Amino acid sequence: MSRVRQALRHPFWQAFILLLVAYLFFKFGIAYLPALLGMHSAPVPSSVIMQYMFIALVGVLIHVSSDEARWRQFKEPVQATLVDRDKKWLRLSLLVLVPLLVGFATYQRTRPRVDAPIELRSIHPAPPGQITFRGKTIPLTGLENPLRKRGSMPEHLRTGQRVYYQNCVACHGDRLDGQGHFANGLSPAPASFADAGTIAQLTESFVFWRIAKGGPGLPREGTPWNSAMPVWEDFLTEDEIWAVIIYLYEQSGWQPRRWEAHGAAEEGKAP
Amino acid sequence: MRKGLRIADCGNGRRIADGIWQIAKGVSGLREADFSNRLERRFATLHPCARIVLCALSLLLIRSPQSAILEAQAAPRGKAVYDKWCAGCHGDDGAGVGSAATYMLPQPRDFTKGVYQIRTTASGELPTDADLRRILDFGMPGTAMPGWESKLTENERTDVIAYIKSFSKFFAGKAPTAIAIGKAPSSSSEGLAAGRAAYQKLECFKCHGDAGRGDGKSAPTLTDDWDHPIRAANLAASWRFNGGSTVEDIYARLRTGLDGTPMPSFSDAVESKVVSDEDLWRVAQYVRSLSPEETPAVREVIRAGRVEGALPSSPADSLWAQAERYFVPLTAQIIVKPRWFAPTVDGVWVQGLHDGKRLALRLTWPDPSRSPDPAWDEWLGRVKQSVFEADGAVPVTQAGDRLVLQFPQRIDEEADRPYFLGGNTRRPVYTWRWTSNPDQATEATGTGLGKYVAAAASAVTHSARFNAGEWQLQLTRSLASADTTKSPIFREGQAIPVAFYAADGSNAEDDTRGSVSAWYAIYLDVPTPPRVYIAPIVTMLLTAGLGTMVVMQAQRREREHGRSNLEEYR
Repeated sequence: MSRVRQALRHPFWQAFILLLVAYLFFKFGIAYLPALLGMHSAPVPSSVIMQYMFIALVGVLIHVSSDEARWRQFKEPVQATLVDRDKKWLRLSLLVLVPLLVGFATYQRTRPRVDAPIELRSIHPAPPGQITFRGKTIPLTGLENPLRKRGSMPEHLRTGQRVYYQNCVACHGDRLDGQGHFANGLSPAPASFADAGTIAQLTESFVFWRIAKGGPGLPREGTPWNSAMPVWEDFLTEDEIWAVIIYLYEQSGWQPRRWEAHGAAEEGKAP
Repeated sequence: MRKGLRIADCGNGRRIADGIWQIAKGVSGLREADFSNRLERRFATLHPCARIVLCALSLLLIRSPQSAILEAQAAPRGKAVYDKWCAGCHGDDGAGVGSAATYMLPQPRDFTKGVYQIRTTASGELPTDADLRRILDFGMPGTAMPGWESKLTENERTDVIAYIKSFSKFFAGKAPTAIAIGKAPSSSSEGLAAGRAAYQKLECFKCHGDAGRGDGKSAPTLTDDWDHPIRAANLAASWRFNGGSTVEDIYARLRTGLDGTPMPSFSDAVESKVVSDEDLWRVAQYVRSLSPEETPAVREVIRAGRVEGALPSSPADSLWAQAERYFVPLTAQIIVKPRWFAPTVDGVWVQGLHDGKRLALRLTWPDPSRSPDPAWDEWLGRVKQSVFEADGAVPVTQAGDRLVLQFPQRIDEEADRPYFLGGNTRRPVYTWRWTSNPDQATEATGTGLGKYVAAAASAVTHSARFNAGEWQLQLTRSLASADTTKSPIFREGQAIPVAFYAADGSNAEDDTRGSVSAWYAIYLDVPTPPRVYIAPIVTMLLTAGLGTMVVMQAQRREREHGRSNLEEYR
């Protein structure tokens, strides 16, 4: 027990434990801890983990070398492993194991891989300032849903529900979770409106643009060639699209993101 | 005592329940004018003691009084849930004609008739609450009905079931009871053979076909109680079985039938000893054996193995049995006009082989009809009546079946891909387009879904075979390209983007009405290059050498240090 306590006070083992904890946090903590609090998260890509780990290593080295005594103490186990007579077997096994590990890593990198080419895709690319809807120019910046100031809301919701169930439900699903009966096999998968990362982050004008212009209307970073979202201006009127947007927010319980009072053009861009 | 007798006067379970409830609450005043039918009157003429005993017995069988009352209170709360989440398909009045009804096939359930497919009760009976709950919670695979377990709370689901039952007056009667279902006999190969024999004896093949792919002689004539066309289930795709895919699920469907559809119950056949209960279990096991054990996983990369000898020459070639099968799900083409909401083909199995010079692909997909087939005219007519047509009239005559593969014109990982749905004029696709009538495969340039310009001479050869409700198609082309401006060179060790399109002519499908896939990739296996083995050995030697040097240097320094210390000491 006292050996463990002694080791915990030793700078070498402190550094080792710190790096291990940091790795576990980057690898699993970021992915799963926010989920416990009900927040949305995703695993960190391994290349990013490598960067984080490099920064953590540099930080640890700066810390241990900032004090002369600590630095000497830190080097002790390393030196001991290299020279001590009673550590002969540890030394030999490291001399075998480390090259084996390096060899394995090299093999992993050089073996023929059969992964599909990776396509980076921006989920919410920046919208254009204006679009042409069936020949009519519609400026998107600062645009509000006109139906919210016009006509009766129950009527808009009825229209929105009809439009949704006739056109959207097959992919986006009646639970609004992007798992409609024809969603299977689409890549990218249809957006889930129940997710806090979609319409909850967007202004109604952004949603209007995405519906009106569909997949083919995406900028290049949105990989327009992959999206199965139809170009709805070919099927729906302007008012039908605004009505289905009202329905989406009502049904999902989210609020659309609002434009700031002083015409902040950047607002349309969601993270 | 007087009140007790009045309880016994009540005719059916519901009213007994109400009576007890009222008594429990201290409310008297049940009137004797509640006798409405003959059965009740006959019951009333019984000796009071007999009545009490009968009522007490029936009380044990029926649901508790509280549940009946609670249900009456739950229904109005269920209406709010129903209007929000269910009415879009099932309609405000529960008649199954909501906004989405003609945009799907099978169409939404009509709750007013009280007819339900998936039950644990005898044929012709209502489902139990647990039956309704199971469908609500887990949905109906193969239809548009999702499971609501994750979306609605426990109370919301209880309430909405009470409301759904209120659409039909039949639920007011006695609560239905589930039939007793035994245990499956352990499965064996003899058992499967017995199941196959019983499958023949019970004439399952008449609708489901000899191999179970839903291609029986009667398949094109099938309708449900609402006169909509209905498919005989493809028994080789258990992940789409409406009532679940376990042997127990299948057996339950055999015993209860699927009410409202042509699928009968075989309980009578068991009772009249036409078939033994064990053999019915064997049928369920046999049916289950027709599908893969697991729902096929979707993998993005289709590996085409390298063969040293000759490539297969037809889809029936035994070489194909060794090639890995990949399932590519297809989905309805509901993206450009004219959309199609009721496609036949929901997936293609793909296999690939190459010999370093040519690439052969084998595609198999279930299709109950070899189109055009006059037997299916009736089917097409009904589909036309049932499905949304506003994007353009649905064809009245059957075209041939078709399968289209598309590739980029040049394979370049850096470049943008063409639009997955048939390309466009700016970035066309290179396609292999096969039709069953005439039976031919052509190379063509595609500039949008259904817009093909055939090449002058086709370098792709084909061999197609229709076998018991399944198309098997082999397409072969040299890896080299005849015209590199229009068709790609297939290189080994490179991911070749590919997408699929399928259409069933007997289901009113053509070049745009059909099913589509996303982009996938075909990867031609390469013999492993030597550097894959050499590089790790080199790095291992280098690391080992470096490590040894570090150790030796440290030890030398230590020795010198020790010596100098010793000298100092001296």
